[in-house]
Amino acid sequence: MKISRRNFLKGSATTLFLAGFNFPVLANTTKKKNLVIIMLRGGMDGLCAVPIIGDKNFEKRRKDLILDETIKLNSDFALHPKLKNFYNLWQNNLGAIVHATNIPYTKRSHFDGQNLMETGGHIPYAIKTGWLGRGMKLGELKGDGLALSLPMPLLLRGIPSNDNFYPSKKRLPRTELLQLLKSVYADKSEHDLANMMEIIANRSMMSSGGTSMSRKNSSLAYKAGLELKKINGPRVAVFEVDGFDTHAAQGGVNGSHSDSLIEMDSIFKSLEKGLGPEIENTLVLTLTEFGRTIEQNGGRGTEHGYGSAIFMAGGLLKKSQVYSDWPGLKRKELFEGRDLNSTIDARSVYASAMSTVFDIDFKRIQKEVFWGDDLQNLSDKLFKV
Amino acid sequence: MKNFYRKVAFGLGPKDKIPSDPLEWATSQLNEIPEFSWKGKILPEKELRNYYRDYVYGDRKVLRKKFKNDKDGYKREKNKLRHVTGQKFWWNLELCIRHSEALKSETPVLAKLWYFWGNHFAISEKDFLAQYTTGAYQREVIRANMNQTFEKMVQEATVAWTMIHHLDNNDNVGPKSQEAQWAKEKGRKVGVNENHARELLELHTVSPECGYTQEDVIQMAYVMSGWRPNWGKKRLETGDVHFNGEYHQPGTKRILGKKYKSGRKSLSAVITDLVNHPSCREFIAMKLCRYFITDNPTKEMMEPIIKAWEKSDGFLPDVHKAAVEVAFNYSKKYNKFQNPENWLLIMSKMSDVELVPTPKLMDLYTLGLKPTHEQRSLEYLLRELGHHPYLAKQPNGWSDVSDDWMSPELLIRRLVYAKEAYYKKNRKSQTNEFYEEMVEKNYDNPSEILKTINQQGDLSNKHVILFNLPETLKS
Repeated sequence: MKISRRNFLKGSATTLFLAGFNFPVLANTTKKKNLVIIMLRGGMDGLCAVPIIGDKNFEKRRKDLILDETIKLNSDFALHPKLKNFYNLWQNNLGAIVHATNIPYTKRSHFDGQNLMETGGHIPYAIKTGWLGRGMKLGELKGDGLALSLPMPLLLRGIPSNDNFYPSKKRLPRTELLQLLKSVYADKSEHDLANMMEIIANRSMMSSGGTSMSRKNSSLAYKAGLELKKINGPRVAVFEVDGFDTHAAQGGVNGSHSDSLIEMDSIFKSLEKGLGPEIENTLVLTLTEFGRTIEQNGGRGTEHGYGSAIFMAGGLLKKSQVYSDWPGLKRKELFEGRDLNSTIDARSVYASAMSTVFDIDFKRIQKEVFWGDDLQNLSDKLFKV
Repeated sequence: MKNFYRKVAFGLGPKDKIPSDPLEWATSQLNEIPEFSWKGKILPEKELRNYYRDYVYGDRKVLRKKFKNDKDGYKREKNKLRHVTGQKFWWNLELCIRHSEALKSETPVLAKLWYFWGNHFAISEKDFLAQYTTGAYQREVIRANMNQTFEKMVQEATVAWTMIHHLDNNDNVGPKSQEAQWAKEKGRKVGVNENHARELLELHTVSPECGYTQEDVIQMAYVMSGWRPNWGKKRLETGDVHFNGEYHQPGTKRILGKKYKSGRKSLSAVITDLVNHPSCREFIAMKLCRYFITDNPTKEMMEPIIKAWEKSDGFLPDVHKAAVEVAFNYSKKYNKFQNPENWLLIMSKMSDVELVPTPKLMDLYTLGLKPTHEQRSLEYLLRELGHHPYLAKQPNGWSDVSDDWMSPELLIRRLVYAKEAYYKKNRKSQTNEFYEEMVEKNYDNPSEILKTINQQGDLSNKHVILFNLPETLKS
C-alpha cells in the first residue's frame, strides 16, 4: 500500500496555495447555478464503489466481495466497473469523489442515520427541517426546489413552496378545469392554492398527457435536467435511490450493491443529457447515512458501518480527484475496530457546495445552517469558486 | 356551520339524516368504544407479530445464508417469504378496518379522533412494522384506550411492542447495568439509547415547552432501560415486552426535579407525573385544536380543553367532547386544511364511493399468494396520495400544518384520484340530483357551489371540482 494519511493533506495544501492565484473572473450575476442531491438510502458502501488499490487488509477481510476489472482512477483508488457514466464524467473533469467521509453519526441505525443525513443535526429527530431547506432559505431561494418524489423529503424542509415531480399514473384533468379551479382559488383569496394550480397548469413536464410516464430515476433525472436548464427553472433538485442495505449477496460486479450503484449512475447520465451545456453550472452530490463494514458477513453481505464516500459531478467541480484524508484500514485505524473511519465531516462538503452554488459566505452557512459546528471550508479545494 | 360535519368527521353521506343538534350528534359518539364495523377477519396484534417473526427469522437466519452467492435466488425466495407471511396483505386489511370506522360506523367523530391519536403516538416507517403490526397497535393500544384516561393510553403505548421496537428501546441499556458489565467483559460496547425517552417527553407528553434538559432525557432513558422484548433464538426481537432488570440502570434518577427509585415501577411513576404536568395538557390541547381548527391555535381555543382535562384528570371522552365543542364554536371562523387521507374519506363518505373492498373479498385471501390488485387497493391509493398513515417519515407523525401538504404533486393527486373515485361510485349516485342534494346537505353556500360546479357539463368533472374547492379542501 502506497498511500499514507498525510500524503493527501499535502496534496490539498498545494491546491489551497494555487487557489490564491485565481484569475479575476468577470462578475456574471445572471449565471444560474444548480445543486442536485442524490440520497442513497440504506448505507452506500464506499469501499465497494471506490475500492482502495493494493491494500492487503482490505483484500483479506472481504475476499468474496473483491471486484474484478475495476477502473483505475489513480495510484490508490479504483472505481466500480459498472459506474461507466460516472467514469465518463471523471475523464472530462466533471467527476470527483470525497472518500472516508460521513455525517457525524456513528450508531448504525438507518432510521436515525437517514434522519440525520437530512437534518444535518446530531440528535435524531431533534431538528424538523433539512439542511438543504435551511441553506435555500438563507439564499432566499423560495420556490426554487424540486423534489423528484412524493411526499417532500425532509432534506428540503425549511423553505416553503418547493415544487415536486413524481408522475401520477393517471391523466391530469383538462386545462379548462384547471383554469376554473385556479380562478375560484383566486376569487377566494386562496393564494397558495392558486399558485400551486398555476404551476400545475403550466407544467411542461406534464405535457405528454401525464399517462404512464416513467417513475424510473433515469427518466426523472432527464426531466429534472431539462427543468434545471431553464433560466427561471428550479435551482435545486433532490433524488432518492434505495436498496444499498445489502446484508446478503452483496456480491461482486453483478451483486445487489451494484444494482443500486447502477441506478445512481443512470441519474448522472440522464441529468447530463437533460442539462446539456448547463452541466457546466451544476453540482451533483450524493448523500448517504453511513458506509458498510469492511468485513464481509456470513451471508456475503456487509453490515452497517461508518465512513463512506461522496460522488460529485458537474462543471462546478475544480477537477477530477479523489479527495481524502485517508485513515487507513489496519485494525487500529478502523472505527471501533470494524469500519472505515470518517476523517472529513460530510457536512463540510455540503456546506461548501451550498456556499459555491448559492453564493453565500461559507461562515454564514456554517453558523446558520449547521449551528456553528466545526466544519471546514472545502470550497476552493473541491469546487470552482 | 355545516363544515363542522367535515371538520370533526367526514361530512354527511346520502343515507345520513341531518342531525337536529350537531354538537350533540358529535359528542354522543365519544362515550364508548363500539365494536369495529368491519365484518371481516380481524387478527390480534400478537398473531400478526408472529408473521413478522417468521419473516425476519426466515430472511435473516435462513435465506441470507442459503443464497449468499445467488442474488436472484435470494430475491426470489425472499419474495415468496413475503407472501407466506402476508407482508403485502395485512396492512391492507388494517386499512379496511380503519376506513370502515369513518365510512360505515355510527361513530365517525370517534374515528377521526382515533386517527389523531394514532398519529400522535406515531409509528413511523421502520423495518416492516407498517406491514405487520402498526395497524393492530393502533387498534389494540390506541383505539381501545379512547374511553380511558390519557395516562392509561401513554402507559400502554409506551411499552407496546411496536413502539418499543420503533424507538429502539431494545438498544437502551443502562451503562452501569449487569448487561453492560457482561458486555464489557466480552469487549462489546453497549449504552443508553435516548430515542424513546426523548420522544416520550417531546412528542408524547410534555413537549419541549416544559423546558426539560438533555440531562432529563438521559435520566428518562435510564428509567426506561430494561423495557425490551423478551429475546429468543427463534423469535428474535419479536417477544413480548417485559422489564428485564439486568439491562436496567441502577440508582436513583431525577427527572424535572423529582427523584425516582430504580426498578420496574419507576417508568409508570414518571409517566404519571408527566401526564399531570401542565405542559402536557397544554400541548395536547394545542394539537387537538391544530388538527380540527387551525394551523395556529389561540390560547382561547385551548382553554376549554385544558379545563375539561383538569376537571376530569385527563379522561379522554371529556377531553374529546371539549375539543369537539371548541371546533363547533369556531367552525364559522376557521376552516382547516384536510390531510390527504381525511380528504379521501370525506369525498368517499359524502359522494358514496365504495372505497373499501368488501370483507368477503378480503377474507378470500390465502397466505402464500400475492394479494389481488383489488385487495391491495387502499394501501396503493394512500401511497399515491402521499399520505399512508403507517408510513410517516418520522416519529412525530404526519404533519397537521397545511404548508406541509401544499405541493403541486400532492394537489395533482387530489385531482386525479377524485376522478378515479367518481368511477367507483354506483350508477344511482351518478346523477345531477344526487350532487345537488349532497351539496345542500353539506355546505353552507350550496347555490354558489352548484353554480361553480355546473360550469362543467360532465358529471365526473363536477365531482373533481367539488372535491377540490377551497370549501372541501379546507373544512
